[in-house]
Amino acid sequence: MTISPPKAPPVTAVMSFAEALCAAQEDAMAVDESIVLLGQDIRAGFPFGATKDLVERFGTDRVRNTPISEAATMGCGIGLAMAGMRPVVEVDFSGFLYLGLDQLINNGAKLRYMSGGQVRVPLVVRVGQGPLGSFGAQHTQTQQALLAAVPGLSVLTPATAQDAYAAMRWALTAEDPVVIAEDMRLYKTKGEVVRGEVPDALRAAVVRPGDTATIVTYGHGVTTALAAAASLARESIEVEVLSLPALSPIDAEAIADSARRTTRVLCLTDDPPYFGAGAGLASVVRAGAYDALRAPVLELGSRPVPAPYTPSLESLVFPSDEAVAEAIKHLVGWSD
Amino acid sequence: MTIEPIEPVVPTARTEPDAAHLYRQMALIRRFEQVAYRAYEEGDVYGTVHVSIGQEAVSVGVIDALRATDTVLSHHRGHGHALAKGVDPNRLMAELCGRADGVSRGKGGSMHATDVAHGFLGTLAVVGASIPLAVGYALAQQLTGTGDVCVAFFGDGAANQGVLYESMNLAALWHLPVIFVCENNSYAITTAAGDSTAGEGIAARARAFGLDGVLVDGQDVLAVRETTERMAEAARAGRPGLIECSTYRFMGHSRGDPSHGVYRTKAELEEWKNRDPLEVLATAAGLSGERVAELQAEAQRAAADALAFARSSPLPDESSLMEDVRA
Repeated sequence: MTISPPKAPPVTAVMSFAEALCAAQEDAMAVDESIVLLGQDIRAGFPFGATKDLVERFGTDRVRNTPISEAATMGCGIGLAMAGMRPVVEVDFSGFLYLGLDQLINNGAKLRYMSGGQVRVPLVVRVGQGPLGSFGAQHTQTQQALLAAVPGLSVLTPATAQDAYAAMRWALTAEDPVVIAEDMRLYKTKGEVVRGEVPDALRAAVVRPGDTATIVTYGHGVTTALAAAASLARESIEVEVLSLPALSPIDAEAIADSARRTTRVLCLTDDPPYFGAGAGLASVVRAGAYDALRAPVLELGSRPVPAPYTPSLESLVFPSDEAVAEAIKHLVGWSD
Repeated sequence: MTIEPIEPVVPTARTEPDAAHLYRQMALIRRFEQVAYRAYEEGDVYGTVHVSIGQEAVSVGVIDALRATDTVLSHHRGHGHALAKGVDPNRLMAELCGRADGVSRGKGGSMHATDVAHGFLGTLAVVGASIPLAVGYALAQQLTGTGDVCVAFFGDGAANQGVLYESMNLAALWHLPVIFVCENNSYAITTAAGDSTAGEGIAARARAFGLDGVLVDGQDVLAVRETTERMAEAARAGRPGLIECSTYRFMGHSRGDPSHGVYRTKAELEEWKNRDPLEVLATAAGLSGERVAELQAEAQRAAADALAFARSSPLPDESSLMEDVRA
């Protein structure tokens, strides 16, 4: 008979989104020696603190600073994963991810399939997404839809500190490559985090119930949607906010369920119109609820420009609370 | 500065059985690829096919110096690496023919054939892109203390991909048990190495990173093996290296393109054919004509059997289409 060690009870603490990512890596590394972190400046936890102080606990073999070599680092992560390790590759800003995407898309996402199931690549990639504020067009972009279009890749889109913790713990049990798309506006936002639990699956959550319309969104979009919903409630328009923990795999069932209940849907993203996540989510809504909708699915995303530097222009690019509220009123008015 | 080819004591086959063992493997690769090339022309092999005829001494020389638990990552011209690593020729041919019994269940083909059980981690088709995987695989060996090395094969065409240099840097920086093997067959499709690669050559570039970088005669399987043995011992001890093997492909780049006349002359081809790696070994090791004929016949039978096996294997069931996208 084997006696399992007593399980530590979950610990609850208030922490930031970045601290939650760090806590999740720490908790997972403590129980799984195959986890190795790779990235630029990760020993110092620079720039967002998502790996802060981990080197002190786990050492430089497992918290491994890399040169500025995104392609080789990503490939090295894939090679580690092929050999049975669980690497976490950090790419701090979205623009730098492209240098590693040949490795991630051509090798990481395809090796299991191309090998007829022989090769597994349990790789986790962390990458910042969206605007941080006046970092210019190369540091400010979204790639969730691009990545979610790649068969074999999972793309996680946490919206809160608790989501970030759950996303990382889930990713570190996955059998295939996972990208955690970290909305950079969220790194400093705080929330209560229950540590110690590893979710079996990531499910979409109704984070505010309502009966007039649904806002389907993810990442920082959830913050924007909740603010818009609060202001709409003052006008007696009750909007449901559905938070997606991942774009791939997509929780199509939860999307259809909410859409069928509220009969009107706004897909809120930070992508430009037509070929981004908005279009993708709208197709999921239509597939699951076309016969129950009272209005066409509406999409609201960014303006189709490279992100400008100066704050007064940059603030016009991504959807505001006001724009979301206006879009909901348009949706309700259209179908009244 | 010129690159000095390493000049070890003239390597010799250890025994007659040892020479026959090396010859047998090279003959199998030669015959297998001849059969595969014809099978392409006859419609059994789809898409395209890249054969390494003329380069067999590199595959066999390097891999014969390894342990069974060492691993290999390969590229689009990788049948030789696979066979030398012990992959079953029947299942490899079945993969080329897109059959259910193929090593990758017909999902990969020649350019993505993989056999993990034999330490053959796969052929990958983006030039240079398998190299950092070998670095990561080697890092895992270092962290878990297996003592195994990982070999990354690539061609002269990959010598100007940035990821090669990023990978060499990581290998040197972290003292990884990895060996980079550049099969310099003188042409990247139609572009001569001299038209694409500046400086003193690839081995010299490796030395700039603090790696052991050596140039070896890639037509001489004994020289390749001896060099790799030394490199593997060093790599296991944390001193990674690069072996540049001078070689030549006797055929065109892929299916249907000519072996000479467009971008290289018949005279040049003939000159290299005079250094056919199978003949170089037979001469150096004193293999008798009779023994050579036996080994050739054995290889020919194995290659023919492989194609017969492949043809008799079923096509993958349509239900397998969506399998293995994820676990």
